[in-house]
Amino acid sequence: MSDQNSARGGKAGPRGAFAIERSHIDDWVSTLLERGEVIAPTAGCGGDVLYAPVSTPEQVRWEFSNSLHPPKEVLLPQTDPLFDIRGDRAGWQLATLPPQSPRILLNARSCDVSGLQFLRRVHASDLEDPAFLRRDAGLTVISLSCPMPCPQGFCVCCDAGPFLDDGFDIQLTDLGEVMLAEAGSANGEELVRAAGGWFRPASEEELSRRCLLEALAIDSFGESTCHFASAMRRISTGRVADALWDTMSDWCFECGACTLVCPTCYCFSIKDRRGDGAWQRCRLWDSCQYAAFTLEASGHNPRSHRKDRVKRRFYHKVSAQYYVRDKSVGCVGCGRCVTVCLGTTDMPAVVAAIRKGVWHG
Amino acid sequence: MDDLYLPRLARITEARDETPDTRTFVLRLRDGSVPGTLPFVPGQFLELSVFGCGEAPFCIASSPTRPDAIEVTVRRTGQLTDALHALGPGDEIGLRGPCGNGFDLSSARGKDLVFVAGGIGLPPLRGLIWNVLDEREQFGKVTVLYGARTPSDLVYKNELADWGRRDDLELLVTVDRAEPGWEGNVGMVPILFDMTELRPATSLVYVCGPPIMIRFVVQDLLMRGFAEDSVISTLERMMQCGVGKCNHCAIGHRYVCRDGPVFSYRQIREMVE
Repeated sequence: MSDQNSARGGKAGPRGAFAIERSHIDDWVSTLLERGEVIAPTAGCGGDVLYAPVSTPEQVRWEFSNSLHPPKEVLLPQTDPLFDIRGDRAGWQLATLPPQSPRILLNARSCDVSGLQFLRRVHASDLEDPAFLRRDAGLTVISLSCPMPCPQGFCVCCDAGPFLDDGFDIQLTDLGEVMLAEAGSANGEELVRAAGGWFRPASEEELSRRCLLEALAIDSFGESTCHFASAMRRISTGRVADALWDTMSDWCFECGACTLVCPTCYCFSIKDRRGDGAWQRCRLWDSCQYAAFTLEASGHNPRSHRKDRVKRRFYHKVSAQYYVRDKSVGCVGCGRCVTVCLGTTDMPAVVAAIRKGVWHG
Repeated sequence: MDDLYLPRLARITEARDETPDTRTFVLRLRDGSVPGTLPFVPGQFLELSVFGCGEAPFCIASSPTRPDAIEVTVRRTGQLTDALHALGPGDEIGLRGPCGNGFDLSSARGKDLVFVAGGIGLPPLRGLIWNVLDEREQFGKVTVLYGARTPSDLVYKNELADWGRRDDLELLVTVDRAEPGWEGNVGMVPILFDMTELRPATSLVYVCGPPIMIRFVVQDLLMRGFAEDSVISTLERMMQCGVGKCNHCAIGHRYVCRDGPVFSYRQIREMVE
């Protein structure tokens, strides 16, 4: 493990690392607010952390356990309009939607940035998805690295955190009195330079502190890990006993929460919704865990058994076939499915059961 | 940007009743009905939009050898098909596609062809049958075996009568339950296999119908010596996007809308649900 840490450490900021005094952070956020809509973690009802548009720097949270809902909605809203529909059956007019105005996602956690990267790969592969690309075009991602793993997180097993090598425009690391800012893209570099004098090049000492924080973070995961490799081998070759899927799916309540909070889930349905004086063709989140997901017009349902639906979810996320297509497992180790599952059919539990061939019962 | 989800507009020019719950719609694109505006091969499908209701996939029931209009045959089974049936000549709908792979005609040339259809499973094969008949000299013996629940449920009745009169096509029809006036065969589709001469070594078989029919027909064909690669079907799945994104039609890592809907029986057998 320590070899791996030192290999990961030491390469901070592919496009340069900068530092900003904590006392200037709010000033910087003010300049971000002038550039476009800023979506950041805020204090929601009952103390929940909620990613939402902010209007003042004071609303932005800097110290928080990750939100229950990932910020994937910036790229995949629950209801995602595709085009406007006007007219009637005698003649229709279809109007595509205007380009997305610039937005900045501030303080996204590493796993969630990896989730956005996953979605980008999926929607750009094979046929490019124009609705997704339209939303992505104006988005700047500023991530906040995670020196302290969250209780259910296992991002380290998915190469999705706790610190990132890429996928961000800027990666922030909290060093106490200063905030380290690594530029990951030309856009991020420009954002730092445009901030005027608040940023200065990071010192060697600051960079090595960042690397030490990353190494300590990786070491502190302890037992909360998820070993995909052997589960992948078994799922990909169909060597998971039907009886095991049966037993595991007994613990699934079919609520679909695992898929709704998952940063990499993207299944959808298409519906027309009535807007102001016009219809809108929309895509809406759907879940492969619902029986109606595969219900055919004839009444036939190829996945009428819950076992087959649970199997489908893990095939899509963990099989080698999808790993090859999507360049990673469909999991970023955020641990949200562990938190929300009413039973225990979450990613680490199912992967462990497949690996060991027995369910915890 | 070529928008994956934005339909083209098409007008219904004709609507023909096939059965009490099934109707064929003839469509022309608003932006030009000339040949070439919608290149397709038999077996591909369209996503049809009834605006304000939604969209759903329907196979193209006509042939690219007759490109003036596009035909789809639709059975009423739910909200969208109800809304579509409420439309008639002059009304406008949306159309995306063609989607999917379609039948590989090049591998069929020179072969004997057997078409096995059940009920509403004939429309997906009808475009291919037309295409084959329009290029008749390129194919061997052509046999069409068609079954429906009752005589009233047979689609394309006029066309079946025409095909029955042709001497370059063998047509056998059966119904599960006879009605007064029916003098034809009674029984499930596989009974027709014994009424014709099947040539497993030189034939391709195209099967389309309800899942239960496909299962029995394929079992029967394999027992009669047909190779798994020679039995070809077009799969029905719940679909939404038609372009391999929404995941409704995924079987394993294959997408019926993108990798299919046409698969050989060997491919179907190797797919993991």
